[in-house]
Amino acid sequence: MADILEKIKKNVIEGRVDYEDEGFDGDMEGQPGVLELVEKALEENIPPSDILNIAISPGMNEVGRLYESGEYLIPDMLASAECVSEATKILEPLLLEGENKSRGKFVIATVEDDLHDIGKNIVTTLLRGSGFDVHDLGTGIKADKIVDAIEKSQAKYLGLSALLTTTMGHMEEVIDLLKDKGIRDQVIVCIGGAPISEDFAQKIGADLYGEDAFDAINKLGNITP
Amino acid sequence: MGIRIKRHTFLSNRECQLIHEGSCRLLSESGIKIESQEAIQIFLKKGARFEDGRVKIPPHLVEQSIEQTAKSIELGAKNTDNKIVINPDSPEIHFGTGGQALYVLDYEKYMFTRRPAVTQDLIDIVRICEQLENIDFITRPVEPDVPEEAMDLEKTGIFLEYTTKHMNLANLIKLNKLPEIIATVKDKSLISFISCVTVSPMNLVSPTIDKFIKIVERDIPVAISSCPQAGTTAPLSEIGELIQVNAEVLSAVVLANLIKPGAKVLYRGIPISSDLSGDGSPRWCQPESIRRIAMVSDMTYFYKIPCCGTAAVSDEKIPNVQNIAEKTISWVFEAASGAQFINSALGMLERILTVSPEQYIIDNKIISNIKQLFKRSPDYNIRDLAQTAVKDALEMFDISMNTHVKQDISDRIEYILNGQEQLTQENIDSQVEFIGNAVSSGKSSILFMKASRSGLRKGWLYNGSKIDGELNLEEIHHYKNRLLKSSC
Repeated sequence: MADILEKIKKNVIEGRVDYEDEGFDGDMEGQPGVLELVEKALEENIPPSDILNIAISPGMNEVGRLYESGEYLIPDMLASAECVSEATKILEPLLLEGENKSRGKFVIATVEDDLHDIGKNIVTTLLRGSGFDVHDLGTGIKADKIVDAIEKSQAKYLGLSALLTTTMGHMEEVIDLLKDKGIRDQVIVCIGGAPISEDFAQKIGADLYGEDAFDAINKLGNITP
Repeated sequence: MGIRIKRHTFLSNRECQLIHEGSCRLLSESGIKIESQEAIQIFLKKGARFEDGRVKIPPHLVEQSIEQTAKSIELGAKNTDNKIVINPDSPEIHFGTGGQALYVLDYEKYMFTRRPAVTQDLIDIVRICEQLENIDFITRPVEPDVPEEAMDLEKTGIFLEYTTKHMNLANLIKLNKLPEIIATVKDKSLISFISCVTVSPMNLVSPTIDKFIKIVERDIPVAISSCPQAGTTAPLSEIGELIQVNAEVLSAVVLANLIKPGAKVLYRGIPISSDLSGDGSPRWCQPESIRRIAMVSDMTYFYKIPCCGTAAVSDEKIPNVQNIAEKTISWVFEAASGAQFINSALGMLERILTVSPEQYIIDNKIISNIKQLFKRSPDYNIRDLAQTAVKDALEMFDISMNTHVKQDISDRIEYILNGQEQLTQENIDSQVEFIGNAVSSGKSSILFMKASRSGLRKGWLYNGSKIDGELNLEEIHHYKNRLLKSSC
C-alpha cells in the first residue's frame, strides 16, 4: 500500500497526469501517471481519503515548497495542480460519501470583448487543485451571462479576468449587475489581469484582487463566504 | 529619415523554407478557427475546406497569396519629405512610435506621478514626436478620452493637425467610422492601421477580422499583427513558436489577397516569451524575445513582404538604467534584422501600460546614436555595435559601465546570437504535430505550459540579473518643455 501511495505522490510532484506524459526530461512516456495509479490504488481497496491525505495532499505541499524555494516554476506548479484536479474528479464522488467536501462553487470568466485566457486558465487549474468546484465560462463573456451563471449555480465565488485596458471596465458592469439583482452580498468577487490593480479593485467594489494566480489562491484561503 | 543597413540574419533561406513548410502544414492540416462568417465564406469560395470548426488552407493558396502581396508600399505624409517607401528588396529601416498606453508618467523635480491618459496627452505626444528627428512615423500612443463612438475621428483630427509625418492610427475602433476617417484625411495614403487579427494559437477573431476586411477593401496599408507568447499561447520552443506565428500571419495574408489581390499588408509577427517563473506575463525585451522577433524579419525577406517590426518594450516602470540597456539592445537587433517599419515602444514604460514624455526624448537620443553607429560601420560587427550602443546610451547620463554591467550586456548579446535549438526537419515535424494537438485539445495553454518544463530546464528563457541605477532627468525634462512651448 505504501509503495503505490508513494508513487502517486511522486507523480503529483513531477506533474504527470497519465502514461502519455513525458515528464521533465521527456523520457517517462508509457509509465503510469497519477490517473492510472489512483485507479490501481482504488482497485486495491485503498480508501480514497488515504489516497488524498497520504499521497496527493503531501505531494502538492511538496510542490508548493519547491515553488516557494524557486526550484519549481509556474508550469511545474500547474502540471501538479492538473494532476490533483484530475485525481479529484475520480475521488470526489467517493469522498463526498464520506466527510471530505468541496471548498465551494466558483464561477470564473474573462470579461466581454476580451479573448485572453492564460491567467484565467492558470487560476482555474489551481482552484480545482485547491478543491474548488470551478465552472469556467470561457472568454469574452457578457455581464448578464456571468450573473446568470452565478444565479443558476448559487456559486459563492466569482473570478473575473481581463488583459486589456479597454475591457477591464466590464468588470464593474458585472458587479453593478450583481447589485441590481440584489445578490452582490452573496458572492465574493475576485478580479485579476495585467492592467488590474488593488486601487482598481477597490474603485469598482471587488472583494479581492489577485496580483497573480498564487496570490489569488493564497488570499482566497483567508476569506470565507 | 530611413537608414539603409546591411542585414544581420539568423535564418538561412533553407531554414526559412523549412519554417514555411511547417506553417503550411499547420494551416492545411490543423487549420485556423475563424469567428467571422464573412471571412470563412471568402476562404471557402477560393478552395479552402471547413472541417471540425476550422478553416483548412491548402498550400497553393498560401503560395499564391505570398506571390500576390504588394511588394512595395508607400506610406504618405503631409510633408512629402516624410514619405516612407517600404521595399522588401531593400533593407531601409524606419523608426516610429507604438502604443497604446493607459497612463502617463509625469515628471517634476525628481518625482514621478502616474495618472490616466487624456486627450491633451495625445496632442502633446504627437507634438513632441513631430519635432524629434529620429521618429519617422507616429503610431497613436494613447487614445483620446472621448466616448468610444468619437475616438476614431478625434484621433484622426489630432494627427492631422499636429503632425506632418505618416499617421499610423493603429487599431480602428469603430468599423462604421472608416469612411469618415478617409473623408477627413482626404488622401488615404497618409494613414495606415495595425490589425491584431489573431489570438494565439491559430484563431482569427471578430470584430477585428471584420474591420481588417474593410480596411483591405479600401486599399489602405495594414500591418497584420500576431503576438503569441512562448510557453502559454505557443510552444516554448523558438522553432515551434516561429512556425505558429508564421502560420497565423500567413492566414491573414491569404485572406487579404483573396479580398484584394496585391493587398498592401505588412507582416508583423511578434513571437515573444512568457514569464514562466512569475505570472505568465509577456517578456518583450528579454534576449530570447529579441532574438525571435528579429528572426521574423528573416521570414519577411524570404517572402519579400514588407516587415513591421517591434522593439523596445521595456518592463521598467520609470526611465532608468535597465530600461535604457534593454531598449537599446532591442533596437540594435531589430534594426540589424532589416525590419523596415519598426513600430517601437518609443516613450513607453511598464510594457506599454504607461507613456512618459521624457522617455520619448531619451529614446530619440538612443535611436540617433544607433543610426550613427550603423552609418559609421557599414560592415559592423553586431557584438561590438550592440555593446557600444549601450555604452553610449548610458554615457549620455554620465553612467559608465562597470565590469559587472559589461558582462551582463555581453551575456544578453550572446544569448540573442546563439540559438538553443537545432532547426531540423525532425524538430519541425514534432512541433507541427504538437501545435496541432494543442489547438484541437481545447486546453492549449495548459499543454503549452506543461510541455515547457523540459525547455525551461535547458535554459530556453534567459535568466540574467537586472541592472540597477537611476537617471538624472532634469536636462531631458527641460528639453521636453522647450519642445512643447516651441510648437504652441
